[in-house]
Amino acid sequence: MIKALLARLKEGCRTGAFPPAAPSLPPEFRGRPVIDADTTEEDVRKMKAVCPVEHALAFSNGIASIDMGRCIFCGRCAEASPKIRFTKEYRLGVFRREDLIVKAGEKDYTPPRQTDREARALKGSLHLREVSAGGCAACELDANVLGTPAWDMARFGIRFAASPRHADAIYLTGPVSANMQTALDKTYAAMPEPKFLIAAGACAISGGLYTQGNLPAEPALFIPGCPPHPATTLEALLRFTS
Amino acid sequence: MTEFKTFPNEESLCEYFSSLGGWTDPEKVVPLKGASAHEVAVGPVHAGVIEPGHFRFQCMGENVYNLQIFLGYQHRGVEDEIVRADGMIARQIALAETCAGDTSAAAAAAFSEIMERAFPARFPEPAPKELALRSLLIELERVANHVGDLGALAGDVAFLQTQAFCGRIRGEYLNMTAHLAGNRFGRGAIVPGGLRVTLSEEKAQELKNWIKRIKPELDRALKLMFDNHTVCDRFDGTGTVSKETARAIGLVGVSRRASEDFNGDVMARALVRRIEIEEAHAKIAALLAGEHPCRGEARHEEKSGEFFAVTSTVPAWRGPLVHAAAFTRDGKMIKYKIIDPSSHNWHGLAWALRGEQISNFPICNKSFNLSYCGVDR
Ligand code: SF4
Ligand code: SF4
Repeated sequence: MIKALLARLKEGCRTGAFPPAAPSLPPEFRGRPVIDADTTEEDVRKMKAVCPVEHALAFSNGIASIDMGRCIFCGRCAEASPKIRFTKEYRLGVFRREDLIVKAGEKDYTPPRQTDREARALKGSLHLREVSAGGCAACELDANVLGTPAWDMARFGIRFAASPRHADAIYLTGPVSANMQTALDKTYAAMPEPKFLIAAGACAISGGLYTQGNLPAEPALFIPGCPPHPATTLEALLRFTS
Repeated sequence: MTEFKTFPNEESLCEYFSSLGGWTDPEKVVPLKGASAHEVAVGPVHAGVIEPGHFRFQCMGENVYNLQIFLGYQHRGVEDEIVRADGMIARQIALAETCAGDTSAAAAAAFSEIMERAFPARFPEPAPKELALRSLLIELERVANHVGDLGALAGDVAFLQTQAFCGRIRGEYLNMTAHLAGNRFGRGAIVPGGLRVTLSEEKAQELKNWIKRIKPELDRALKLMFDNHTVCDRFDGTGTVSKETARAIGLVGVSRRASEDFNGDVMARALVRRIEIEEAHAKIAALLAGEHPCRGEARHEEKSGEFFAVTSTVPAWRGPLVHAAAFTRDGKMIKYKIIDPSSHNWHGLAWALRGEQISNFPICNKSFNLSYCGVDR
């Protein structure tokens, strides 16, 4: 007992300064991409040739674009063409699907602000029910990380609830495999109103590398990544309610 | 380790692939009858942040008589997708990596080894330094997972110090991987023919210092748990799988070692993980000191039969991860099979629960911590 208490004292406080301080990201971190305005169809073809995901990159009406909702942030396209680069911008969460598309020439980025009053009312008390539906489990692992002392999302009142009855939102990961469709629909139905769906990871947003099943509702928050970095997730959840 | 085989026809090829084995779901619920018989069904959606699976505890009074495990909720056809993506290496490797996210590095290595052996002209044998970096990523993956699981075990018996310490320390190892690969799970680093990242002298030194700083913290966190008699009391004798049973049902990896070297209970599996953490650190130190794993000579096989298949086995953290691919003689991929060590070990969990109370399920489950999605059937 004494030993355990001493060890606890010695450990001290390990919670990171993020937020409000900037998170410490690895040097190779790949965040929000930027595409040069003069990117040609040929450039996009080169990028697409090495991209593991279908339809992550596009060229239409003379403009190149990348869909962060499909991209797994592997960085291969940036190796194939200098026209695309991945910045260190980790604040990737958005409230509308179309905001995940980054078009060529777009420069200044400010993360969107929450305007939904019902979502803002959850500030300081957001209870999530995780539903893992056919992904690779890395999204779940990095969601779990937010509960560790290093991130400690509970200090903002964000918690994972054991039952959908106690939840404000479903934190969905995975592409919704056929065998999880019923379970997901039932879990969503079991949540009291007002309720939200949060799609975390390329799989949940678009199917990612896989084919997507049916979402029970239009997600109110999209957190891109494969898996999203914990800093991205925490920042998105906080912005969702503020 | 890879193995090359040729086959005269499709029949012999299919026979070989089915001989590789894997998990088979029970066909249906076998009901338990009797005065004190009752069943508790759990899942597919669980209370925690974990993958979906359905567990049916068939109990006699207080004790579990049998546990039936139904998987397949995660099925998304990874193997077929890999075959369909033939020719698109980046897509194939991303699919292999996302079969089981916690085993990404090992899976990428397994896939790459297959391609290197099958097409040596296109994917030349990686340089020894590159093989060393691959091993390094696999070992970091091993440490991160074992640390995470030991912390979770502590949490399941409400020993919160080690749970909290290990949760944080696991993150340090994931961050080391991210430092090397740009992704906390090592995604996108290992590719057929080599790697997309390099280990500079500077990075190697950074990693050495990092481990030097973290390892004593990890040792302290683990010692605290293993020295605590209430924790030991919960772990000792819980969820035992005897050596004979382990052999008979074909357990592999951590679970097998726990039954062979120790007595096969939760404590045994926890100890094996602690030992493997030490072994992994010794290996990491050797790799960072410049030791290179040796794969032996590259062999250029005669593609004589109509089909050929390559099987690769990688020492993943749960146990041997086996990937197998079949090609036509002119190199078209026609079949891919992934046998996660979990495929063998789920039966072990079912066995460990026999005679236990349901309340012991969490620590039994955590001591195995098997992959649901890795068994993509
Ligand atoms: S970073 Fe995204 S868009 Fe680029 S190649 Fe990878 S998946 Fe495709
Ligand atoms: S988005 Fe990526 S990390 Fe998340 S479940 Fe899908 S494959 Fe895994």
